[in-house]
Amino acid sequence: MRRTRRPFRRLLLTTTAVLALTACAPVEPVPISGEAGRPVTGGTLTWAVETEPITFNPHQYAQAKARLLVWNSFEALLTHDDKGGYLPWLATGWQASADGMTYTVKLRTDVTFHDGERFDAAAVKANFDQLLAPSYAPTVAAVQLKNLKSVEVVDPATVRLHLTAPDVLILDFLSSPQGAQVSPKSLRQAANLKAGGVDVVGTGPFILSAYTPGQQVVYRRNPAYQWAPANAGHTGPAYLDEVVYRFLKESSVRVGALTSGQVQLIEGVPATDQELITASPQLALHRSLNSGSAYSYYLNVGHAPFDDLRVRQAFRHAVDVDAVLQAVYRGTATRAWSVVGPTSPLYDKGYEGRFGFDAAKANQLLDEAGWTARDGEGFRTKDGRRLTVRLVQSAPYVRDRRDILAQAVQAAVKQSAGIDLKVSVVDQGTALQAIADNQYEVFDNSRADTDAGAALNLLLASTGAINRTNHRDPALDALLAKGQATGDQAERVKVYHEIQRVVLADQALVVPLYAPADQIAASRALGGVGFEPTAGVPAGAYGVWIAK
Amino acid sequence: MILVRAVARRLATAAVVLWAAATAAYLALLLAPGDTVDNIIGDGPDTPVIRAQIIAEWRLDRPEVVQYLDYLRRALLGDLGRSYLLQRPVGDVLGEHLPATVTLAVAAALIGVVLALVVALLTAGRRPLLRRGASAGELVLVSTPGFLIGIVLLNVFSFQLGWFPVAGGQSVAALVLPAVTLALPIAGVLAQVLRDGLERALEEPFVVTARSRGIRERAVVARHALRHALLPAITLVGWLSGILLGGTVITEQVFGRPGLGQVTLQAVTAGDMPVVLAVVLLSAAVYVAVSTLADLSYLLVDPRLRRSGT
Repeated sequence: MRRTRRPFRRLLLTTTAVLALTACAPVEPVPISGEAGRPVTGGTLTWAVETEPITFNPHQYAQAKARLLVWNSFEALLTHDDKGGYLPWLATGWQASADGMTYTVKLRTDVTFHDGERFDAAAVKANFDQLLAPSYAPTVAAVQLKNLKSVEVVDPATVRLHLTAPDVLILDFLSSPQGAQVSPKSLRQAANLKAGGVDVVGTGPFILSAYTPGQQVVYRRNPAYQWAPANAGHTGPAYLDEVVYRFLKESSVRVGALTSGQVQLIEGVPATDQELITASPQLALHRSLNSGSAYSYYLNVGHAPFDDLRVRQAFRHAVDVDAVLQAVYRGTATRAWSVVGPTSPLYDKGYEGRFGFDAAKANQLLDEAGWTARDGEGFRTKDGRRLTVRLVQSAPYVRDRRDILAQAVQAAVKQSAGIDLKVSVVDQGTALQAIADNQYEVFDNSRADTDAGAALNLLLASTGAINRTNHRDPALDALLAKGQATGDQAERVKVYHEIQRVVLADQALVVPLYAPADQIAASRALGGVGFEPTAGVPAGAYGVWIAK
Repeated sequence: MILVRAVARRLATAAVVLWAAATAAYLALLLAPGDTVDNIIGDGPDTPVIRAQIIAEWRLDRPEVVQYLDYLRRALLGDLGRSYLLQRPVGDVLGEHLPATVTLAVAAALIGVVLALVVALLTAGRRPLLRRGASAGELVLVSTPGFLIGIVLLNVFSFQLGWFPVAGGQSVAALVLPAVTLALPIAGVLAQVLRDGLERALEEPFVVTARSRGIRERAVVARHALRHALLPAITLVGWLSGILLGGTVITEQVFGRPGLGQVTLQAVTAGDMPVVLAVVLLSAAVYVAVSTLADLSYLLVDPRLRRSGT
């Protein structure tokens, strides 16, 4: 069977025109800090970060806040450009078959891992084999690689991925931390492979040289590094001799450490501290919106009252999002209008300004839906039952003051439409229990996936792993599947506009609130500080230099 | 013989305390909402396939009783298991963090005790104004959250004056601010207790006798009254070890220091059972050791106990 199909596939390959090299126009990164002059080599940078990674093995990556560390020592086959496309990195190019079932990836032949192992097709296959090994990376195997059938080593510089269904997100995977290449020797020998550490190595411009849990991680320059992607801003080894990342969980401590010159760069600057940075002539504040889905409230249609479309629409009209964001984030938040983040190529701009705050309309819709009476506290009631909806937040995952934001929304919907939003911040077990028992009406979430489609698959598909709306719609499923299978970008964008129409206009399943962002504050003596294209998270230290 | 029996009884009690602590912690985690699989999944994708793999990896399909007995058996053999979250042996995790916490706790305890002694000796039975001022200061320190003390100290001595680094590894300079943060509330409580004891002792007849012998006031306080005042303070040593362990959670967080406090916080919020259990066992062991030492130090301080002791 396989044998008879192969010539056919080869024919397809030669006729497809999805050649990587055409997508490989070099993209100059925008230099953010201009005062640092021309790049110079040398020096040690101390960078305070908010999050200590729970693992240094990129295959196990699950914290968007830890992404800025990954690309220092690890690299993927492809990387994102800033237009929703891909550039070769450890690959030299790739081809998709016309049916979208096979991806052939050509690899660089001049790359070595930090431990001296050669990077070649066998190494790539070893990484895939490891990812699919039982109990190694169950999420990756079940989500990103669910359509992967097999990985074939064609020759030392070529691998071919065979899929069970067309899946353009495989390119997103090849550019993701989970798709980063780990030395086969590390995969065989590391003492704690899933935890990572100095004995789990990659090919990146820095080598992880020391990790002190709870305190810091140190990277030193990889002098042999010669394979930066086209959009990295420069080639050859990194400028810095060494980077020390300090884990400082308290934002005020990070800011104090920066203003007193104890660190030169910090990540995670909350709205309340941003004035301190902008007021200082020695410091610069940079901000970038993240990729993925916007921070939104998902409405559970599984039972009353949100099983009624009018109540969902009313809830959305009842929130004055601008006022709420202004109150909580002092004008530093970017309002979201769609479930898709505004920087995504899949974002439909057409929803900006639609379905906004309209108290009159909210009240009219609720009247129509039969929630006409009011109780002593001013909340609407129907058949003696109060219009109560519950939002359960899991305390360990509350960030960006989302608990405060929820209180602001609570006050807003009470005032404008008499809706009783009950907010509880609980431990993770209780939160999951509430979901399992269907004892919630509002679910809050944002995802940092580099391809918003990957986030929507989880959040909106009938069998999606994070489908908390309980909305099950074969037509929506078909659209999501089509979006994942469509290789043509323009065509794909249309599919996702269609999905946004269903979710926002037809069903009012989602109340978009804000677009998550990352902030970095840096000494003006630093050059090359910036954000990763597409992902929008702080970039690694490869392009950073310290002015003399 | 008597000594051997006393030691044996101590050890047996310690073993029971450790077992009870581990079992109570195990039960508490078991009864908490959400199971281990939920905690490992966190807010990530949640499908039956993913769940099955996690269950297989950690052998969570066994009945809870079997898991519990297996845990006890392995703990007896010195194997504390692997962290669900960090994917490393728990022994390694604790080993990495323990030295930092011990350093911090010992430094804080020393500073706290010395401060309390100095303040109590200087203010006991003195002019009401001085005494009242010190007492008020102590109350403020005791009631201020450690978090706030840390931030204020950092702001003044690190961010403004630049005397100490905010976080600088294991250097002595980096230890000062966190140790003082942790020591201040301890000093506050201890100073109150000591002063109270001193003042009561100073009114005892033996003090009058001592004074009548012509000893200087300073010697009366240091040699006679202090011994009496120390007894209630030593009773607080058990409390002290608890405060130190709890205080490190906040202090380590604020100062970005490694240590058991951070490990514990992370393990509890993530439901990382093996780490939580190990920390509970360790704290119980420390508590037992500290109270034994406290009992022994009564004998040192109070000659009456030595004479009547078995």
